[in-house]
Order: sequence, then C-alpha cells, then structure tokens
Amino acid sequence: MDELIYKLKQEIIEALNLEDMTPEDIDENASLFGEGLGLDSIDALELIVLMEKNYGIKLQDPNQGKEIFKSVKVMAEFIQQNRTK
Amino acid sequence: MTAPIYITGCGVVSAIGLNQKESLETLMGEHSGVGQLTYLKTEHKEFPVGEVKLSDAEMRNRLGISDNAITTRTALMGMLALDEALKQAEITPEMLPEIGFISGTTVGGMDMSEQFYLDYINNDAHKEYISVHDCGNCSEMTAKHFGDFAFVTTLSTACSSAANAIILGANMIRCGEAEIVIVGGSECITKFHLNGFNSLMILDTKPCRPFDATRNGLNLGEGAAYLVLESEKSAKKRNVKIQAVLSGYGNACDAFHQTASSPDGEGAYRAMKEALEIAGVKTTEVDYINAHGTGTPNNDVSESQAMMRLFGNNIPPASSTKPFTGHTTSASGSIEAVFCILALQNGFLPVNLNYSQAMDDGIIPVHQSTKKDLKHILCNAFGFGGNDSSLLLSKFEQK
Amino acid sequence: MMILHRVYISPDKVIVNGKALELTEKGSALLTQIYRSHIGNYPKFFKMDTLCKLGFVASELLLNAEGNRNFEPREDRAVILFNRSASLQADTNYQSTIQDSENFFPSPAAFVYTLPNIVTGEIAIRNKYFGETSFIVIEENDEKLIEQNLSVAFQDTDTKSIIGGWLDCTDEENFEANIFLMEK
Repeated sequence: MDELIYKLKQEIIEALNLEDMTPEDIDENASLFGEGLGLDSIDALELIVLMEKNYGIKLQDPNQGKEIFKSVKVMAEFIQQNRTK
Repeated sequence: MTAPIYITGCGVVSAIGLNQKESLETLMGEHSGVGQLTYLKTEHKEFPVGEVKLSDAEMRNRLGISDNAITTRTALMGMLALDEALKQAEITPEMLPEIGFISGTTVGGMDMSEQFYLDYINNDAHKEYISVHDCGNCSEMTAKHFGDFAFVTTLSTACSSAANAIILGANMIRCGEAEIVIVGGSECITKFHLNGFNSLMILDTKPCRPFDATRNGLNLGEGAAYLVLESEKSAKKRNVKIQAVLSGYGNACDAFHQTASSPDGEGAYRAMKEALEIAGVKTTEVDYINAHGTGTPNNDVSESQAMMRLFGNNIPPASSTKPFTGHTTSASGSIEAVFCILALQNGFLPVNLNYSQAMDDGIIPVHQSTKKDLKHILCNAFGFGGNDSSLLLSKFEQK
Repeated sequence: MMILHRVYISPDKVIVNGKALELTEKGSALLTQIYRSHIGNYPKFFKMDTLCKLGFVASELLLNAEGNRNFEPREDRAVILFNRSASLQADTNYQSTIQDSENFFPSPAAFVYTLPNIVTGEIAIRNKYFGETSFIVIEENDEKLIEQNLSVAFQDTDTKSIIGGWLDCTDEENFEANIFLMEK
C-alpha cells in the first residue's frame, strides 16, 4: 500500500504540473481539494483520466470523484480495490 | 440612450433549418433538430447532436462551389448563412469594399485538420489544408466567396464569440468607423471538441434538458448565423427594410474559473445589466430572455441566479433554444439572436423543449407555446474564460 | 488614448517600458524565469499552456510597472488581446492526447487551453477584473488596426483603461508579446 501511495503521489505531481513539489511534500491524509493541495475541478477531471490511463478504472459520474479524491490515501485504497491493470 | 443600430438582414443555418423561414417553422412547430450523429465520423455515437442536415458536398453544391475546392464545414455553413443575410439586406457585391465582416469561431478549420493530421506529418498529400486550419482563415474563406470586404476580423472568445462579434461591430458603427458591418459566427462539430467536452464530463447521452431538475449536460450542435448591422443614416439612405434594433449589449467577465461559472452568476448579471443600461430599458420592460441555458448543472444554476439578482421577483419569460439546435458553441450568440428577431417579428415565446421538473434554485422556463407581443428581448451567450455577453434586441417601430 | 506602460517579450528578450530585463534563459524557460524572479506565489502558472504563461507574465510585469496593486474587484479595466495563431500550441498539445486510438485519453486540462481567450480570463481572475474581455484573431501585428479596435471598446463608458496588444504563440519556443496599458 505504501508503495502505491508513493507512486500515486508521483503520478499526481506529474499529471497536475505541481511544480516545486515532491511526494514527501504531500500528506497522504490531507484533502486534495480546497485547503489541502488547492486543486480545482479541472484537476479532478485530470485525476479521473489518470485513474483510467494508469489503472483501468473508468468513472462515469464526476461526482464520484468527491469521495474518492478526499485524500491520496483514500484514492490509493479505491485504486487497490478496483484496478484492472 | 445612443443612436440606434439597425439590423437590416439575417441569415441562419442550424439543425432546425437552412434559413430563417425553416427555423421559424421548426421553432413554432416545436420540433427538435437534435438526433443521432450522421455526418461526423466518430465512434462517439452515444451522444445526441444537432447537426446541420447537409453533407459538405451538398453544401458546396448549393453554393456552386466545385468539389475540388478546398473548403471547411465551418466556412460552408458560414457562406450559406451569409448569403441569406446579404440578400435580405439587399447588399450587392459592389457594396462589399465598404462593409466590414466580423466572424466568431474557435474551432476554425479543425474538421479538416483532424482528418488529415497524420498526413501532415507523414506526407504532403493534404498539406493545402494546413493553411485553412487557422480560425482567421475560415472567416476569410467565407467572406471571399462573396467578394472583397473592407476588412475581415475573427473573434475568438469560445461560446460567446458570435455575440462578441456583434458587439465589436456595433461599437464600430457607434464610433462612426463603419456604416455597415456584418457580424456573427460559424462553427461545425468536430471530434476535437466533442472529445474535449466529453473529457470535461458535461455531455449528456440523452437530449439536453436546460433548467430541468434532471439536466445532466449539453448536446453539441453546429451552425452559422450573420446579422447585417447598419447605422440609421445608411439604412435610411438605402431605404432598406429594418428587421430589428440592437438597442443594447454588455460584455463582462465572471473572473471566477476557466470553465465553471460562478455560483452567483456575477458575469452574467453584469452583462445583462449593462445591456439594459446602454439601451435605457428598465428590467420591467424586458419581455423575454433567450437564456444561454446549456443544460449543464453549473450553467443553469449560475444563469438563474443572475436573472434572480437582476429581476428580483419579476423574471420575464425565459427559455433556452438549445434543445432545438444543440449548443452551437461559437455560433450560438448569433444563431440565437436571429431566433430572437424571429420571435420579435412573429410575436411568440420559443419553448424550452424537454422541460418537465423544476430545478432547485432555478427559474421555470417557458414550456408551453405562447403567443405574445414582444418589444425587448435579452439574448445571452457565455463562454469559457468567464466571457459573458448579453444582447438587447428590440422591435423596430416606425416613428 | 494614451499608452502608459508597455511590455515586450520574445523568446530571448524582455523589455519593460523600453528597459531590457537581465535574464539568462531562452524560450519557455525564459517565461518560467520571469515567473520565479519577478512574480512567484501563483502555482497555477505551471498548469498553463504557453500562450497563457506568456500573457500571464507579460500582464504581471505590466501591472507591476503600473504599481499600487491591490487586487480589489474592478470593472473599469478591459482585457482585449490580439494574435494570428489563436491557440495553435494548445491545439497541437491536446490533439496529441486523442491522436492514437490505442492510447486515447483526451486531457481536460489540455482541452481547456484550446480556447485562446482563456488567457484573458486568467488575467481577469488573477486581478479580479469584471469588465470586458475579448480575443481577436487578425492577419499580423498591425498596431494601427489593434489601436483602432481598442478605441471602439471605449464606447463602453464603464471602461477607463485597457490591457491590450499582441500575444502570439506558435509553439513552446516561438512566441511574442507586445502588450500595453492604455487609458482613454
């Protein structure tokens, strides 16, 4: 699980162009949106693409993201359970 | 109140008709032009769209253009609409060097570029299409078909492009920089933006339902429309029939987010307010609002809030005509402006098709066919980038 | 009409009000260098396409030259930009995400920038400008034509000043900004 979390952090940094950030800077329990990493709705859509591209998970409803993207840890758990690749 | 800007000609092409007459019949008959994809070659058959019911070859044939000529669908639709507008305004080719042309488009020649993109890289077979990729080139091509205009300018502010083309032309006439300017926009559906809107997860797989509780996104459409804007002096001198008056307009920025509208509809509110202020028209005098009403959860709440803020408890009848045509993106501002002119001239409120259930925090749109004498209509067009514009179209009354 | 301040940026030159800034980088790296040395604290910069980055740093230098920045909402300032290539670099970038049917993942973040007017929106968001924004595509950087188009924008009596001018980008290493702050 820790390995997946670390890899996911790297992927998020790359996909969302979080310049000047390292995986160590991201608290796996902190919120990705709002106060936490300060991501916005376009970033959420980009994370949906990331899950499909890297893990074969297809979300149909953007509102599902609200739960899944609560934190990197929640996201990693969801990927662990649902990944097809 | 400043000198009026007259509209002396219109032309419109969309999923509900190839001219004003067909559009009027379909609007009054309440038939949607949205259906399954036919002309665009894509695997995305799940999304209903509002296509213009002609192939490129059929359009070329109507326009008397050879099949070997290099054309784009955006330019062809533009030519069909411009032809109708020029004829109605009685503008002959000799007059064009004195007339400006401002067209709104964003996708430009992308329909051809995406078809031949790999060829560009691999060989020279279709390299002539590279030159028509630019948005600017589509406007030039449309204009050139009829002759040499005084100038050709392209406006590119996403889905408010055509509305802003209308505003730029009106300002030029007001300044005395031009007597006649032809304004509007054209845009065809492409895989490029179909996939793009899909990636934003704002396309509905069912027919769109603006201002409805169950709304779940927009349907893409395509088309073109142009309006001939003319100064009072010129219209009188030419003794041409005046179709309607552009009495006000506003362009404001929502300054909130690249693609999302602010929850309180700040930009929309400011744009509508400014349009009324320019015209010196009170909120109680507005008879109908043709809403931007895309059918996305976000737009319809935001636009409703803007209307509630501006009109309080007296919101005029409002509807979105996008269930008829789909969202014609860059062209929507001028296509819907022509629909408003048809409504003014024929005294009816266009119906918001597919409406059944009131949404939270939203307006209740016109959902029953209504005959009504109309004097002032607000027509909204909002674009990504927070670019919100509103036009006030008024009935022409002989003094 | 009077031009108060002017900023010029090309891949190897940055000039603010006639004075060259001493910067070492070239091309898109130059834009990042301007951001780091003169702006900072706006991480959204790194998500932008090249046209937006260019417009963002150019407008920041222009507004820093004006001084007294307070970021209070205002509607008396318009942002009206012109170019030839619309959003060509972003178009190419987004197209690459839908080109290959085996690797077909349309990027929403890339698609957003295929609208050239996103840059006027980004400048408005940064500075809380609620006035007019527009983006106009013309054949070439014809300052006379640009000024003519800007002068008509003052028909809107709310508009007292405009950030206007040329902002063109064909790819990450080829761009030109020549923008100014103009008063009625």
